[in-house]
Parts: sequence; structure tokens; C-alpha cells
Amino acid sequence: MVLKHGLSILNDSKKRSALGPEEWTLYEQVAVAAMDCQSIDVAKDCIKVLQRKFPGSKRVGRLEAMLLEARGLWSEAENAYSSLLEENPFDQVVHKRRVAMAKAQGNTSAAIDWLNKYLDLFMADHEAWRELAEIYISLQMYKQSAFCYEELILSQPTVPLYHLSYADVLYTLGGLENLQTAKKYYASTIDLTGGKSTRALFGICLCTSAIGQLTKGRNKEDKESPELQSLSAMALEKDYKQRAPSRLSVLSSALRSLKI
Amino acid sequence: MGGESNYEIHQNAYIKLILHALKHKTSSVNGVLLGRISGNGDNVEIVESVPLFHSQIGLLPPLEISLIMIEEYYADKGLSIVGYFHANERSDDFEVGNVAKNIGDHIYKYFPQAALLLMDNKKLEALLKEGKDRSPVMQLYTKESSRSWKLAGADASGSLKIKEPSANIVLLDYVSSGKWKDIVDFDDHLDDISKDWLNPELFK
Repeated sequence: MVLKHGLSILNDSKKRSALGPEEWTLYEQVAVAAMDCQSIDVAKDCIKVLQRKFPGSKRVGRLEAMLLEARGLWSEAENAYSSLLEENPFDQVVHKRRVAMAKAQGNTSAAIDWLNKYLDLFMADHEAWRELAEIYISLQMYKQSAFCYEELILSQPTVPLYHLSYADVLYTLGGLENLQTAKKYYASTIDLTGGKSTRALFGICLCTSAIGQLTKGRNKEDKESPELQSLSAMALEKDYKQRAPSRLSVLSSALRSLKI
Repeated sequence: MGGESNYEIHQNAYIKLILHALKHKTSSVNGVLLGRISGNGDNVEIVESVPLFHSQIGLLPPLEISLIMIEEYYADKGLSIVGYFHANERSDDFEVGNVAKNIGDHIYKYFPQAALLLMDNKKLEALLKEGKDRSPVMQLYTKESSRSWKLAGADASGSLKIKEPSANIVLLDYVSSGKWKDIVDFDDHLDDISKDWLNPELFK
């Protein structure tokens, strides 16, 4: 869209001069859109115009680096991004491009390095913490991922998604202590969503079942809140009855198999 | 062990998996294969498939829940879990990653002839462009005769065939009519249980 309409304005000198100083912003936007669409030549032309108008500009330098990236010249692009960051270590866009580029190449360990460097400077960027957490999950580095979610929960304690993901990661890690903590965070997810989280309700049932298997034959005092399990199961059955009646019987037998 | 198993996948099971991968082009997706042993015990028939996830597929809880429900549902129909399907996040990635291996291993424990199918993006691209290929656009990995997952078919032992020879033509039809948008996976179901992971309307 930006590419098509932007280009038609830029190619029409009357319309172009009507933009005034906005003209250059449009060149920039069209250049980025063109790179997204792999229209390398259009991007090149736009950047050339900007280079002539703003020689030595860092903002244009960023576009040049992005062009290298779009052309698949990874190492050249990386050098360009790195030197831009040397001049201006707080350029968030460049930091993020570097992460995205490492990911596109399948170089996950580099993506993790760049993200960690970025988070050293911008600790409050939730999206970046979440991205890092998800990369760790894809590499099955669950402990590191759990750490990211702990950061997120500390800074934003009322976002149910962070509680849920943290619980999911802890359950995946396994072990009695992690399972017990996971169960607590599933419970807080249910609290924060007003009982609306199907995933957390299932999580409670899974945790109870797994904890039960680990503590089989031990003291009864280890068995905490069995009512939480039956309440979750009941909530799930009620929900399925209303909104997915044709899958209710499968749900019921699944829940039965989770009971010990 | 003597000859390795041959694998035959039914058209609908095959198409569902690929449409699922097409719907979520930029993330890893996975699915589970349901079937039975047929012939003299060395044929695995993949009759059905269920698309599983398209986000954070390395987490256990959603996987465990889905496998329990899927097993419960298909047990009545005489089908059990016989394999796993995986499509990588990047289209130029042709390796079986660790998550895929671990889930495959889990299925292998209960079904030693388990199939691990990896989406072959190169073949899919060629198919979408030229539309000629009749063979499945997936690679078959098995673990029957070795300790690790091995690409099958390279030495003509063990192979994957589609039951209906016209499956790819039907697939192209579904792709061009945008059918992949309608695919529901287990992620969708857990976010909104009114979405049915059996996709009953898909082939109507």
C-alpha cells in the first residue's frame, strides 16, 4: 500500500512539491516499504535521493544498512549496524534490526546475544523480554526463559499472559518444586482472567496429576488443595458444555485420565 | 530388524498438515498423525492428522493436553498416534530440530514404527509454482533401525506415499481457494474452545 501510493506521489513532481518537507519522510517510508516487498531497486532510488539531500545523515545511514540487509549481504549489514551503534548506542531501531537479522539467518545464539545487549540498555522493553523468553523456549533453555518471565511479572504483575507462560515453562522444567510453583501461577492466571483462561484451568489439572504422581505414597499433607483441581475440572466441563458440546465427552474422559 | 515399514498417508490427513503450515508461514508448526498398522505388520497407514500448534511449540502443557484428548477421541475409531509432523520456522531450514526430535521420541516410546514428517519447503514451493509433482512434499524420518532419526527412502527402504494419487492437485485447489485460512489447530482451540480442532467443515 505505502509502496504503491507513495511511489505514485513521488513520481508526480506536482504532488511531490505539494508535500513540502514531508516529501523526505515519504521517501523514507517508501524505501522501507520497498525493502519489505523486496523491491530493491525502488528502495535504492529513494535512498539515493535522501543521500543527496542529507549527506552524512545517520538516519539515512540506517536505511543504507537496511538495504544491505534486504539484499542478503548479511556481514556487510552487520558491520554497518555495528558502526551505527558505536556512534549512537541508544538507537533502538538498529538494535532490533540486528536481532531480527540474526534470527532470519537462523543464528539464534547471536540473536540472544544482541537481545541481551539491548536489554542491558532498555530494561523496560517488555516486548524484548518476551521475545527473548520465546527464543529460549524454542531452544529448550527453559531456565533462562523462566528468568525472563520473572522479570516481566515483576515489572507488570497484572498481565495474565506472563503468569500463564511462566507456569507453562515451570511445568515443562518439571520437578516437584517447579510443579508446585507452576500450579500457583496457573491459579493467579485464573484469578487475573476472572476464570476465563482455558489453558490455566487445564494447567491446574496437569499439575495436580503430576504432583500426585511424584508424591504417591507420601504423607497426605503434601497433597495441597485437591479442591482446586475439581473446581478447574468443573469449570472446564461447564465451559465445554456451553461452547463446545460436541467435544464434551472427549474432555470428560481426558479429565478422568488425569485423576489419580 | 528386516525390511523397514512403508508409510501411506491419506489425502485429507496430508492436506490438513500442509494447509496448517501455509496458514502460519513464519512460525514453526506441528501436528500429530493418527493411523494403524496394516498388511503384514510392516505397513503404517496414516489415516488422520490433527494440527497442533503454531506458537511456542516447545512447551509441554498444551502438548500433553492435546495428545490426551486426541488419543481419547480416536481410540474409539481404532486409530492411535503413529507419528508427528513438523514444519520449521524458516523455509530454508531443512533440519529436524530438538523439539521435533523430543516429541518424536515420546511417540516412538509407544509406537516404535513412528513416522516423523518434516515439511519440505523446496518441494512445496516447486509444487505451488509448477503443480506437477505427485509425491508428498514432506520428508520421512524414522527411528526403527537406528538410534537416531534417519531420513528414509534414500536407499529405497521405507517410503512415504500418498494414498490418493491426485492429492497434490486437490491440495493446489485448496491453496488457490484460500482454504488454509479456515484451518483450526489446538492453539486456536485452547484460545477459544468453540473452534473445533477436528476441522469438521474443512472438506465439505
